[in-house]
Amino acid sequence: MNNTSWTRYILILLIFVLLSGGVGVRMVSIQNIPAAQVILENSKNLVGVTQTIYPERGSIYDSQGRLLAGNETVYEVGLDLRSIAQPETIAAVASSVLGLDYSETLVHAKTEAIDNKKLYIVLDSFVEKEKIEQLELIEDDYENRDIGRNETRPSLEGLIWTPYNKRSYPEGDVAANLLGFYAFLDRRDGRGYYGVEESYNDMLAGTPKQVYTPFDPQKITSVEDIPPGASLVLTIDREIQAMVEDQLAEAIDWSGAESGTIVVYNPEDGSIIAMATTPRMDPNYYWTQGEVFPGSTPFNRPISETYEPGSVFKVITMASALDAGAVKPDTIFTDTGSIMVGGSTITNWNYGAWGDQDMTGCMQHSLNVCLTWIATQLGADRFYTYLKNFGFDRNTGIDLGGESHWPLKLPGDNQWYEVDLATNSFGQGISVTPIQMAMAIGAVANEGRMMAPHIVKAIIIDGHQYEINPVIVGNPIKAETAEMLTRMLVTSLEEESSIALVEGYTVAGKTGTAEIPTPFGYTSSVTNTSFVGWGPAEDPKFLVYVWLEKPSISIWGSEVAAPVFSKVVQNLVVLMDIPPDQIRLQASVEDR
Amino acid sequence: MKTKNIIQAYKQAPWRLQLQWIGIFLLILVSIAAIAGVYLSLSGKAAVTGRRIQKLEFTVSALELEINDLASQLAYASSARVMSDRAKALNMVQRDPAQAVYLQVPGYSPESFVLAPAPNVDKIPSPSILPEFTSSLWDWLAEQLTQLPDSVESTQEAQP
Repeated sequence: MNNTSWTRYILILLIFVLLSGGVGVRMVSIQNIPAAQVILENSKNLVGVTQTIYPERGSIYDSQGRLLAGNETVYEVGLDLRSIAQPETIAAVASSVLGLDYSETLVHAKTEAIDNKKLYIVLDSFVEKEKIEQLELIEDDYENRDIGRNETRPSLEGLIWTPYNKRSYPEGDVAANLLGFYAFLDRRDGRGYYGVEESYNDMLAGTPKQVYTPFDPQKITSVEDIPPGASLVLTIDREIQAMVEDQLAEAIDWSGAESGTIVVYNPEDGSIIAMATTPRMDPNYYWTQGEVFPGSTPFNRPISETYEPGSVFKVITMASALDAGAVKPDTIFTDTGSIMVGGSTITNWNYGAWGDQDMTGCMQHSLNVCLTWIATQLGADRFYTYLKNFGFDRNTGIDLGGESHWPLKLPGDNQWYEVDLATNSFGQGISVTPIQMAMAIGAVANEGRMMAPHIVKAIIIDGHQYEINPVIVGNPIKAETAEMLTRMLVTSLEEESSIALVEGYTVAGKTGTAEIPTPFGYTSSVTNTSFVGWGPAEDPKFLVYVWLEKPSISIWGSEVAAPVFSKVVQNLVVLMDIPPDQIRLQASVEDR
Repeated sequence: MKTKNIIQAYKQAPWRLQLQWIGIFLLILVSIAAIAGVYLSLSGKAAVTGRRIQKLEFTVSALELEINDLASQLAYASSARVMSDRAKALNMVQRDPAQAVYLQVPGYSPESFVLAPAPNVDKIPSPSILPEFTSSLWDWLAEQLTQLPDSVESTQEAQP
């Protein structure tokens, strides 16, 4: 190689070295200018995003798979401050379509994006799909509009809408007392209140997860799977629930009662078939709760409001006495019209003396004097032991939020007096909830087995349905006692030709009329009227508990609550596919 | 002098040496280019697939929202009150329970409604494509060989 070639090579090498050095110097200088730090900070936003993903809240279905609580799509409309092209256009469209204030929106749209701190502004939440469709139409129109050479194409660039779930209750106020509500307006910390929404809140909500999503597709390693919250299948049937609510509304309207409650309970497994009460609100508008439930009005009376039930409680007293052997169905009691207990005189509802009565007669004529005598024969210790066994000293544990009970006064307590044994025997001086009564009397209908009341039939988790097994909470009485008392109550209803009777079906039942305690003593002019009944008597499929508070049409349970029971059962047997006794018994004979 | 001559006799011509060096350089260059090409191709495909997965995820989310929304709309449209109003609008009257007719259907017992399968009852889905269309030539050969003794035995049994 001659000298000229070497010189050329060295020259080329020098040029490359100088060029590389220049590039290096420039790189170092760019990295150290102040703007480089801003670029570096901003670039972090371009690497990926960390989000908290809240799982879809589980749905709630009735026993036939009809949706009672689900999720519908609504939108959040906001501004991406980095990409707004025409603030005036956005403000005008948002004002006309979403009904937002033009000036306020314009101020938002003209806000400068501040580095990483302020890039997005929420304009409106819970926007309905129809309005978003209008925005999409306008956007399409702007994009495809023919414009003149000197005109500027209008643009909604920077206005973005994001879909998300909102809790919805398609049935409105049907079963609202059982469902409760989910406070969906609070998107971050919303939770369920009352009903199954409260008691199963954690299961329905699922587990939120922090998810990092890299923008670099090379770094996508796995896709986070966030399972939705568990779904619930309830024991209620929507058709039966709606029917019972209609019957209750009709009964309140007809009787002039202040409020009402009807519980339809399956004594065989403890499932709630229907539970209606007043007032109810549409959980889609849960913020009206204060107006619908003024003061201390309970959300769901059957489980939260205690009251003195009156003569329906005689079923418990009679069951206890028969089971303990204190009396037998044919035991004769001579009613003289009054009985003295603890220094107080107890009389009958009509202040009359009914003479010789067997136990069926005592129940049929609802004799306070007779039941008081029965309680004294049983003795306070055994009587209250039975009441505890029937669950009157505690909550039933029903899987609904907001259950409460009134403490049971027992011998030895400061508040307990001897006369309480007498008054408690016919349902005065003792406070219970309708669900406590349904569960306890359910034991009489179910061969002495007392079943835990429950509203959830099954839970669906990860695509699998887990059935909830019925739970026996006790055997307060023997099966023979239960059968005996059921026969007595069938006879008593039939012999008095009660208006509670249902043609074609044998039902057992008992009326109740209770005086209401006031600060000035008990009042007889306004009462709580009740009825409890179950059927078909030999193989009960339902127990219906009716309570109408302070009816104005009559003060007697036999005139107010009993016909409501009858009407409910007439419809219930059709909806539950229970044929009349004659057909059913004939079918069972043929099956054998 | 003698030694020098021998060395000169085995020395490569300069142009040959240059060619060899250029060849080695080009070989390395081509190898690097090939590896880089394969890497770029694979990473490009991975990137496209990653984006596609992301897009599909968004689609899944959007579809889930839509399914929920449609289920809610359907439930609203068939709610108890709406159905009752529609029935009234069609001049339907509420049935009289006393007129209900019951028919005995031997062996019928209403089943409870099930929205999802019970746990531990997942069935393994049976393949819908016949094995002839899915097994490889080697699989087929292996299967034929394992069945060979059976087929020979059955042939011998069939002979009188």
